[in-house]
Amino acid sequence: MSAPDVPGSRPALRPLPGREEDLAELLTLVARGDEAAFEAAYDRLARPVYGLIRKVVRDPAQSEEVAQEVLLEVWRSASRFDAGRGSAMTWVMTIAHRRAIDRVRSASAQTQREHKVSTVVSVAPEGVAETVESRLDAERVRRCLDSLTELQRQSITLAYYGGHTYPEVASLLSTALGTIKTRVRDGLIRMRDCMGVSW
Amino acid sequence: MKLGRHVKTGRHDLHGLTGAYALDALTGLELDQFEHHLHRCPPCENEVRGFRETATRLALAVAASPPPELRERVLTLASLTRQLPPEVREVPPARSPWLPRMTAAVAAAAVAAAVALGVVQSSTQQRLDQAQAESRSVAAVLAAPDAHLAVHRTTAGGVATVVASPSRHAMIISTAGLPALSGGKVYELWFVSGGTARRAGLLPAPASGRTAPLLASGLAAGDAVALTVEPAGGTSQPTTKPIVVVAL
Repeated sequence: MSAPDVPGSRPALRPLPGREEDLAELLTLVARGDEAAFEAAYDRLARPVYGLIRKVVRDPAQSEEVAQEVLLEVWRSASRFDAGRGSAMTWVMTIAHRRAIDRVRSASAQTQREHKVSTVVSVAPEGVAETVESRLDAERVRRCLDSLTELQRQSITLAYYGGHTYPEVASLLSTALGTIKTRVRDGLIRMRDCMGVSW
Repeated sequence: MKLGRHVKTGRHDLHGLTGAYALDALTGLELDQFEHHLHRCPPCENEVRGFRETATRLALAVAASPPPELRERVLTLASLTRQLPPEVREVPPARSPWLPRMTAAVAAAAVAAAVALGVVQSSTQQRLDQAQAESRSVAAVLAAPDAHLAVHRTTAGGVATVVASPSRHAMIISTAGLPALSGGKVYELWFVSGGTARRAGLLPAPASGRTAPLLASGLAAGDAVALTVEPAGGTSQPTTKPIVVVAL
């Protein structure tokens, strides 16, 4: 994917809005109804949003629906993003994760998910830089996940990627609730430190 | 498993739920209790924030390209969707204002309010609330990937706004500026196909010149939508010339 085409009337934007500050700036413009900024934000967000939703929801058609809802929600509620309370990407991904969770926890979707084998969909070609960047992200995450204990890692991935509640995780891993609660938390502390997240 | 302890979560226990909360793995009573606690526990808020940033890294690691047609659809729908105003009052909210936690249905219904009501500048919270009370079906139509919108002037004056989803076999119609009718007459909605008309419902009585969104199901591929003026209670076949016909 090439750099989003943002008209030159906004000198505050750097030519390659690939980083967090740029996304926050974009959201500020989006909140004012700037459609060109939303287009640029879409290009930054579509892959992360769709990828996470696919991971949780699995079904491609449903994932696309949820991704559409989430991206429209970004447009609609951009004014509610507060940079003092977290990064722009996290604001969006939190919305995406909750929507994905809403979808899989509704009873009908759950049955569908149980009985439906997800189909493989073709993936659009990507720019080299983006692929390398996301590969590095993925590699870093993999390395950090590997540094966890088995129980920490499974608890976190079942909850986040699997969209399970922590009592469900406890049941899946045949482990006491209190233990799962603790493993999720100390696993996340270790992940946070491993990836150098500072907040 | 100590179920009793799980149900009766003490304050001390709540601190330990930051991780599960950050991964959206809490539900029900426990979620409510934790969120209540969170606003009065800055260290917890801080920890949740760090965990959410961490979860974002997990998300980025699985990024994947959506179907290319999603882009045009999202950009078009955005251009038709009214945005939320910033929150300017400091009200202690029940849930974090930073992340308004809406169900998909409520959020989509709010979008429905913006789109289907054709709200431009005059949107009021009341109107949004009213639209949010609309059924899940409205949300489903609006969230449908093939949902599209048409705005037409009627020959009687005013405009009709239609959001239709062929895949959901349903549409939503709202109007603004249609003339008030006397003698109990009503505006009746029709699905028209190949010279035949099927009843699709009666528009609700207008309030300040607008009719609230009406959901009509039974839409078939190739149908057009028409509005006529009919006697009280409506008729089984149109008796007057349509004031608007919308091809979908």
